[in-house]
Amino acid sequence: MQRTVLAVLAAVFLSAAILGTALAEEKGNARKGKYLFRKNCRSCHSPEGGKSDLSPNSMTQAQWTKAFGNWKSVPCHGEWGGLSDQDRTDIFSYMHDYAKDSPTPAKCS
Amino acid sequence: MATTPDLRLTRRGFLKAAAVAGTGALLGSLAPAAPAAARPAAADAPYDRSAYSVCDMCFNKCGLIARVRGDKVVKLDPNPKFLKSRGMLCGRGNAGLRQLYDPDRLRYPLLRQGERGEGKWKRISWDEALDLAAARMKEIGEKHTRCGMLFTAGSDMQSGFVHRLAEVYGSFNVTSHESLCLVSNNRGFLDTFGEVPFPDVLHSKYVVMAGANRFEALVTPDSMDLMAAMQGGLKLVVLDPRRTKTAGLAHEWHPIRPGTDMAFMLALAHVIVNEKLYDAVWMAEKAYGLEQLAAHVADKTPQWAEAECGIPAADIVRIARELAAAAPQAMVYPGRRSSDYENSTQIRRSFAIVNALLGNWDRPGGLLAARQVGLKGAFPYTAPWYDDNPFERADAGRAPIMFEEEGSFVHMREAVLSGEPYPVKGWFIYKTNPMQTAPDRQRTVRMMQAMDFVVCVDIAMSDTAWMADLVLPAPSYLERMDPASGLQGSSACACVVQRDPVVPALYESRPVFDIVKGLAQRLELGEFFDFTVDQYRAEQLKGLQDAARALASDGVYYNPSKVYGIYEGRAHKTKSQKIEIYNQRYAELGLDPLPVYAPPATAPERALRMVVGRNALVTHSSTQNNALLHELVPENTLWIHPIAAARLDIRPGDRVEVASPVGRGELAAQLTPDIREDTVYMLTGFGALSGGLSLVKGRGACLAELLESRADALTGNAAMHETFVTVKRAGAGKEARS
Repeated sequence: MQRTVLAVLAAVFLSAAILGTALAEEKGNARKGKYLFRKNCRSCHSPEGGKSDLSPNSMTQAQWTKAFGNWKSVPCHGEWGGLSDQDRTDIFSYMHDYAKDSPTPAKCS
Repeated sequence: MATTPDLRLTRRGFLKAAAVAGTGALLGSLAPAAPAAARPAAADAPYDRSAYSVCDMCFNKCGLIARVRGDKVVKLDPNPKFLKSRGMLCGRGNAGLRQLYDPDRLRYPLLRQGERGEGKWKRISWDEALDLAAARMKEIGEKHTRCGMLFTAGSDMQSGFVHRLAEVYGSFNVTSHESLCLVSNNRGFLDTFGEVPFPDVLHSKYVVMAGANRFEALVTPDSMDLMAAMQGGLKLVVLDPRRTKTAGLAHEWHPIRPGTDMAFMLALAHVIVNEKLYDAVWMAEKAYGLEQLAAHVADKTPQWAEAECGIPAADIVRIARELAAAAPQAMVYPGRRSSDYENSTQIRRSFAIVNALLGNWDRPGGLLAARQVGLKGAFPYTAPWYDDNPFERADAGRAPIMFEEEGSFVHMREAVLSGEPYPVKGWFIYKTNPMQTAPDRQRTVRMMQAMDFVVCVDIAMSDTAWMADLVLPAPSYLERMDPASGLQGSSACACVVQRDPVVPALYESRPVFDIVKGLAQRLELGEFFDFTVDQYRAEQLKGLQDAARALASDGVYYNPSKVYGIYEGRAHKTKSQKIEIYNQRYAELGLDPLPVYAPPATAPERALRMVVGRNALVTHSSTQNNALLHELVPENTLWIHPIAAARLDIRPGDRVEVASPVGRGELAAQLTPDIREDTVYMLTGFGALSGGLSLVKGRGACLAELLESRADALTGNAAMHETFVTVKRAGAGKEARS
C-alpha cells in the first residue's frame, strides 16, 4: 500500500514538475513580471494613478489570457513602447499566475 | 529607560486577576469605556492610567485594557467593546503581564561565541549587531545570490516589515508558521469556495467538529460563540481520537480512528446525495460537480465508512440527516491546524464538499466570506530586480500547489540540507520557533548547522534563538507601536486594531521594524523604509474616516460592512465561477478532482500513533516558560489508554520512554480512558534545549524531537499525525518493578 502511495506521489510530483516547467517556458518569468508590472503599470493603475486600480486579482486567468492575447486592443497599449516581447510575456505570466481564480490569488499588487 | 519593576504576581493573584477580568467583561456594558489617555484616579486606585492594546499571547489579537501604575503595567483587563473576543481575555491573555516582566527576557544583542547551540554568548552593541548582520547578508547575497537568504516571520503585526525586507533585499525564500499549521485547510476550502471562509458558529444549529478542539485551541469568536450557541440549542458532534474538553462538552463524542475523517465525510455526502437531502435549486445555481460527486460517493456507504472509521453506520446516517435537516444553519466546522496527514488537503476538501451540500455558503449559521475591512496598503514600492537570482523558490516543485507567500517549511528544510536546487545559507527569523514547532527537531538542528549565518529576533531565548549566530532582543507587545491590522471575527465584526506602547521598551529591546530599517539602510535599501510606523499607520487608515477616533476612544474600529449575501450576483473565484465540488484545476494538474480515500498506514507491531493537540493555557512553544502559565501546566505527560498501558506494564505516574524512528523522549505517563487504545498524545513545546528558558529547559519531552518529517502531498504542509512511537517504562529491562 505504502509503495503504491509513493508511486502515485512520485507520478504527481513528476507530472507537476513537467507541467510547471512547460508553463514557465511558455509564459516567462512571473517574478520578473511582478517587478515590471509595478515599475511600468502601477504608476497609472493604482489608487493614486488615476486609472483603474489593477492587480492580478482583478481578473480571471481566462480574462488575462484574452487581454494579453490581443494586447494591441488594450486602451493604453500605446504606452507599452518600452516593453520588449519578453517583458510583456513576463507581465502576462505574473497577472495570469496570480489571477483571482488562480491557485494562489495575489493578495496585493 | 524604564527599569525592571519588582512585580511578583503570585498564582493566587493571577487567578484573582483572571476572575476580575471575567467580571470586567460583564461590567463593561455598564461602565464607560476606559479612555486611552490618562484620567484622574482615586488615591487608593490600584492603577493611575489605562491604555488600550491588543493581546499577543497567541494569534487571535484580543482587545484589552492595560492598567498602569507609574511606569508599571499592573493588570490586563479585557476590552468590553471588543466584539471579536466577545469581551473576553483568556488565561494566556492575563498572563501577558508576565511576558513583559519575565526575568528570562532577552536584554541586549548577543553574538554566538562557542559552537552552535553551546550557549556561549557575547554581549555586543546594536551598531555592531546591525553592521554584522548587514555585512553577512551582503556577503551571502553576493556569493549565493539574494535567494541564498531565507526569511521566516511568525504571526505578528510587524511581520509584514520582514517580508518587505525580504522582497527588497531580493529573496523569494520566505516561509511562515502557516505551513506547520493551517495551509491544508486553507487550500481545501479555497479550492472549493474560492476563498477561505469564516464559520458563523453563533447562528448555527448543528456543528460537526473534526480535527479541531475549539474549547482548548481557542479561536475568537468561535470558541465563545460555540458555547453561547450550545446554550441556545446548537448540537455539537465531535470526532476526535481524544476526549478533549470540546469532546467532553459535546452532545456526541465519536473517538474516530485517526486518519479516517475523509471516510466519514464521504459517507455523509453519500447519504445526503442519495436521499436528496440538499437544496436542488440552490445547488444547481451555486455549485459545480454534483453529478460527479454522486458517482464518486456511490459506493461510499455508511457501512463502508464504519469499517474504516469505527463510527457506527446508523450514527453516520443519523448525523447526515440531522445536518441536512438543520441546513443551511449547519456545518462541518473548518478546523485550523490541519498539519496532520499526507493527504490533509484532500481531507479538508471532503469537509468543504459536505458544507457545499448543506448550502450554507454566505448564509447565517454557515460559512461566511471575508468582509470588507478597508485598510489600505501603505507606501507602495517597486522592489529591485536582481538578474542573477534563480527562477524560483528553493522549495518550488516539491509540492504541486503550495502557497507562494507561505511555502513549505518541511520542503524548504530539505532544500537547505541538500543544497538543491541552489544553496540557501543565511536565515533571518522573527518571533517563530521552528526548533519546537517543526517535526523532527534533529533535522532542524542540521538545517541550522548547514547555515553560514542565522539571525533571530525574539522576546526570549527560544530554542531557535539558542541555535542562532546573532540574537536580537524584541520588546513585548505592550512596549511597541504596531501598524494597523484588519481582523474578521466571523459574523461578529470586521475590525481594525493597532498598538501603541503602554510602557517604554525594557532593556535594549528594539522592535523588528527598527531592525529591518537599520539593515535596509546598511544594505543601501533605506529608501524602502523611509517612514515611521506612525506614518505607515496613517497611510493604512486613510479612507476610514472614523477609524482614528474609534481606535482612540474604543480601542477598535468596526467597519459596518455587509455580513451575509456578499456573493449575491458575484462569481466565486474558481474556474467554474461556482462552488467547485469537482475541482477542474486539480483535474488539469493530474490531481484528484474529488477527494479519494486512502486508508491510513497500519501501525507497526507494538507501536502507537502519536497525535498533536492543544491546551488553552499553552500557545505552541511560546508560553511554557511564562511563570504564571507554567504553574498551571508545568510539564507535559503522555496520554495513554489504561489497556494499552497494562500491555506495556506501565502504571500511573511511571516515567516512560517514547521513541520514534527519529528521536526519543522521557516523560510521565498519564493513564486515561480519554484516548483511544491505539493512540497516544503529548503537549508540544516542552523538553526545551535553550538555557535561556529556565523553567522548561529539559523539562518533559519534546514532541518535535519525536515527529517524523512528513508533508501533505499537495501543499507541503507538515503531516504531524503520521508518526508511530513505541512506549516503554523508563529503565524497564534494567530493574524489575517492585
